Amino acid sequence: MKSLNPTLKISIKELTIKRFQQWLEVNAVAVLVVILSIISIVSFVHYYHNGLAIAYNDARSHLDIGRRVVEGLNPGLAQLGSVWLPLTHLLMGLTIWNDFMWHSGLAGAIQSMAAFVATGVLVYLFLKEIGTGLFARFAGVAVFVLNLNVLYLQSTAMTELMLLVTMTAGSYFLLKWFKTEKLYFVVLSTFFIMLSTLVRYDGWFLFFFATCLVFFQLWRKKGFSNATGMAVLFCTLGGFGIFFWLLWNWLIFGDPMYFAFGPYSAHAQQSQLNAAGVLPTKFSWYQSIRIYWYALAYDSGAFTLILGMIGSVVLWLNRKIDSKIRIASLVLLAPWIFNIIALYFGHSVLYIQGLSGDTWFNVRYGIMMMPSLAIFIGYLISHAKKLRWVIFGLFLFVAFFQFSSADSATIDDATVGSSQKNVTEVSGWLRENTANVKGFILISVASHDSVIFSSGLPMKKFIHEGAGTYYDAAISDPIHWARWIVVRSYSNDDSTWRLLKDNADFQKGYELVDHYPFADIYKIKDEYVAGLITDPILDPKVKK
Amino acid sequence: MKLIQDNKNLISLVLSATFVVVCVIIFALGVRGNYGNPSSRELSFSGWKEDGPFELSPERGRFALLYSFMEDHSLNFSIPLARFSAPDIAVNSKGQYASLFMPGVSFLVIPGYVLGKYFGASQVGTFAMISIFALANIFLIRAIVIRLGANKIAASLAGFTFVFATPAFAYGVTLYQHHISTFIILLSLYILLRWKNAWSLGVIWFLCALSVVIDNPNFFLMLPIGIYALGRIISFEKIKTAYVMNIKPVLFLTLITVAIPVGFFLWFNKASYGNPLQLPGTSVSVAEIDENGKSVEADTKSILTGSSRDEVSKEKTAVGFFQTRNLLNGLYIHTLSPDRGILRFAPVILLGIIGMVLLYRRNKEFANLLTVIIGINVLLYSMWGDPWGGWAFGSRYLIPTYALLAIGLGIVLSKWSKKIWFLVIFAFLFVYSAGVGTLGALTSNVNPPQVQVLQLEKISGTIQRYSFDRNWQFLNESGSKSFIFRTFARNIFSAQTYYFSVYGLIVITGIFMLTMLAININKQEDIKK
Repeated sequence: MKSLNPTLKISIKELTIKRFQQWLEVNAVAVLVVILSIISIVSFVHYYHNGLAIAYNDARSHLDIGRRVVEGLNPGLAQLGSVWLPLTHLLMGLTIWNDFMWHSGLAGAIQSMAAFVATGVLVYLFLKEIGTGLFARFAGVAVFVLNLNVLYLQSTAMTELMLLVTMTAGSYFLLKWFKTEKLYFVVLSTFFIMLSTLVRYDGWFLFFFATCLVFFQLWRKKGFSNATGMAVLFCTLGGFGIFFWLLWNWLIFGDPMYFAFGPYSAHAQQSQLNAAGVLPTKFSWYQSIRIYWYALAYDSGAFTLILGMIGSVVLWLNRKIDSKIRIASLVLLAPWIFNIIALYFGHSVLYIQGLSGDTWFNVRYGIMMMPSLAIFIGYLISHAKKLRWVIFGLFLFVAFFQFSSADSATIDDATVGSSQKNVTEVSGWLRENTANVKGFILISVASHDSVIFSSGLPMKKFIHEGAGTYYDAAISDPIHWARWIVVRSYSNDDSTWRLLKDNADFQKGYELVDHYPFADIYKIKDEYVAGLITDPILDPKVKK
Repeated sequence: MKLIQDNKNLISLVLSATFVVVCVIIFALGVRGNYGNPSSRELSFSGWKEDGPFELSPERGRFALLYSFMEDHSLNFSIPLARFSAPDIAVNSKGQYASLFMPGVSFLVIPGYVLGKYFGASQVGTFAMISIFALANIFLIRAIVIRLGANKIAASLAGFTFVFATPAFAYGVTLYQHHISTFIILLSLYILLRWKNAWSLGVIWFLCALSVVIDNPNFFLMLPIGIYALGRIISFEKIKTAYVMNIKPVLFLTLITVAIPVGFFLWFNKASYGNPLQLPGTSVSVAEIDENGKSVEADTKSILTGSSRDEVSKEKTAVGFFQTRNLLNGLYIHTLSPDRGILRFAPVILLGIIGMVLLYRRNKEFANLLTVIIGINVLLYSMWGDPWGGWAFGSRYLIPTYALLAIGLGIVLSKWSKKIWFLVIFAFLFVYSAGVGTLGALTSNVNPPQVQVLQLEKISGTIQRYSFDRNWQFLNESGSKSFIFRTFARNIFSAQTYYFSVYGLIVITGIFMLTMLAININKQEDIKK
């Protein structure tokens, strides 16, 4: 009977497997870098080819800010402005001068891609540091990587992935410090947290939260004076970014809090929304928690979220784990706490389709917990030894459907939500009618940055708020400087319109040539063309 | 006492036989239907449709296919049958009407139809076939639980609870796929536990393929079983200082058994849609048939976009129906919601989770297998665009999960049968869940999702209920859809009395078994002492 059913045996020596495991332990980071880099590049190519790489209106604005630093009528660091924190725009400077890198979005995406790879590695290292096995570490990385929203955001010129990598790195080195108490790790932690404070304001909260954890831990172990000393050190190093930003705003805009309360700040935007009664999370804990819960569920996936929550509870309730690790791991909750607080105080706005009308807005904020969830799930897989394949198998099962149905809330946010702005018509008109004609286009970047980007025209073709003397000249004397003017007519939110609407030259010298959903195009009348200045003859920094 | 000991086997046999008879009686009292062999035209009368046993399109579509095959000897529907099946009806490239449902159920119930027709009740015979599968599920659960080392009474009670104290009862008396799918899963699990030979593998592969012909999402539910069975062909072990992969190549020949269901399926698809690889659910659907037999409204998308039928059906992919975006809402609907949630409709079955944990200590591999199937079932149908299952009673998609949790229930009932507090909790939950389940079985599955209620109230001008209180309202206003009630008992009892009689029988049987379980264990302890 046995001969009818022969058994083929393939054996591998235990030693060989152990050697492979040892090799993987040693080379895991390199292996991850290679695999994640391939995934990252493939994702970017995919989204580049289907045109989604620059779908977010904000992505185009980020790219334009980076470009204005190196090219335009008034290039320079002052073009970094105050609306967004500067680190990502500064990093773009390395490649944004190249037209392909600018218009493909790669100049911004490339740093997100690197951040994606590094965050994956950090998830691995974090899990290793809390004592999980090899399988759980790779599973944790897989949780982070096999997420369409992460893959999409790493392919765009947005700031989320840079924030994730700096925050995760800061958290990782904080954990290392909690474990070893080596000063070196505090310095590294504060360095990355400082970088995160220059990416998004979420980093500011992390800075505060991490300082509290450091203070608490040292106070518990070594008393108040030690804790105070370390907190001061932590604040000094970690707070440098915040100090720099305040200083920057003071020097450039004359008000250290300009970024917070200036006319283009999130506060100003949210005030308008609040006045219109469409900021339901403001001063409502229930709404803030609910809305962010949905954003988390849509970005990370409901199953991932549930598993992550279980993992976090298991981690913090496991008394076998050193209390230092459990306390340090609290830092992983910082993005969750920050986003809820920001929504509660009305500093942030987040719309979920179905809960906040029929639109999306900023749903991508839910991605901020993704590394934390990946770490919690990695820990859960490590802890639940008997169930590890069940948990990971079910995760893969759900991931399969996310990919097969191309289900990504962030892509919807970018393409059909309030974060999108279809300016193809107006930018198309500009490209077709102005590219080969001399003369400047007067436009407000605060209102129409995406038009500038989508037009494909060089930045020096545009006179905008950041163009210094050119802008002042064009506003006061448009018929000598602006061949075309792009404004949203009758909207005082558009600064160019607000400043020009009563200008007699504008009223008599221009004709409306086309009208689009987001902007109107005015062209100078033929009789004034002869008087136009079409070359950059001014020194942009010298006030007239 | 000595007399009982001496006749233990006889008593056990009598009790087992009584248990079978009681289960058969309950199903007989519950099966929905009308007397008669309806013609294709009569099927569209309200007495057969809305007010009768074919209240929703899943029953209609499957019965129409059966009817067409048996009476018209065709897989393409006649105009009256197409009208009867609309809106869940497909149209093929030749413009012929065909079933939108997987064909397995319609073919498996043929014996019931033939027998029922012989006795002048073709529809009742057809529906009774599903009851037979449901009945078989009780005994499969019993057999699996016993195989896992639990007490026989606990095992029987677990099976009984699954069928009569969950929405599974409501779907065991009408023509749906759920009990057949569950039967295939349970049978596969039993085979895996019971045998390890080549024949058993052949049967497993056959069942895996057959399950897809019953309902295509079964592919995912059977996948873990297939992988587990594959472990019998390719296995790993550690011998001294080496890891060995054992491959039994001859056993790959057992895979040949999938050819039977797959061949049948390809033939069916070719005959129905003109393309052997066209899945039924991915075909172009028709909303309505007009007086001339033409499709009034073809697939909405093809009308709106002007795209051809072939284009539209290509876009409808089998996995495209499931979206991770729906997970959060789906999980809520299946677990907590008042219109479908397991907590509201069958809380007793949740005690099975404790049993699953206990099973992990005894049989990790099998417990893992059960957990994965449950996980896939819950996650898959939470990703489904319509987690409510259309108009339905309870969460019908989770019927396989109820069955697998019932296995856990059997384990915990056996293990904790000395814990009186647990038995009391079980008793309370059982009485509640059986009351709900029986209400659904004897009345109707036409419960709207909560999200549609406001719109319905606007249209109807009356308060619309969406949980099992709707079934209570139905019982009081319209009676019962049970065949026995409608044919024999209507003039003797009120529907309410009929309900309480059936419910009473279930509760008495369940509590009797629970008492037997408690006594039996205590008695065994006395013997041990």
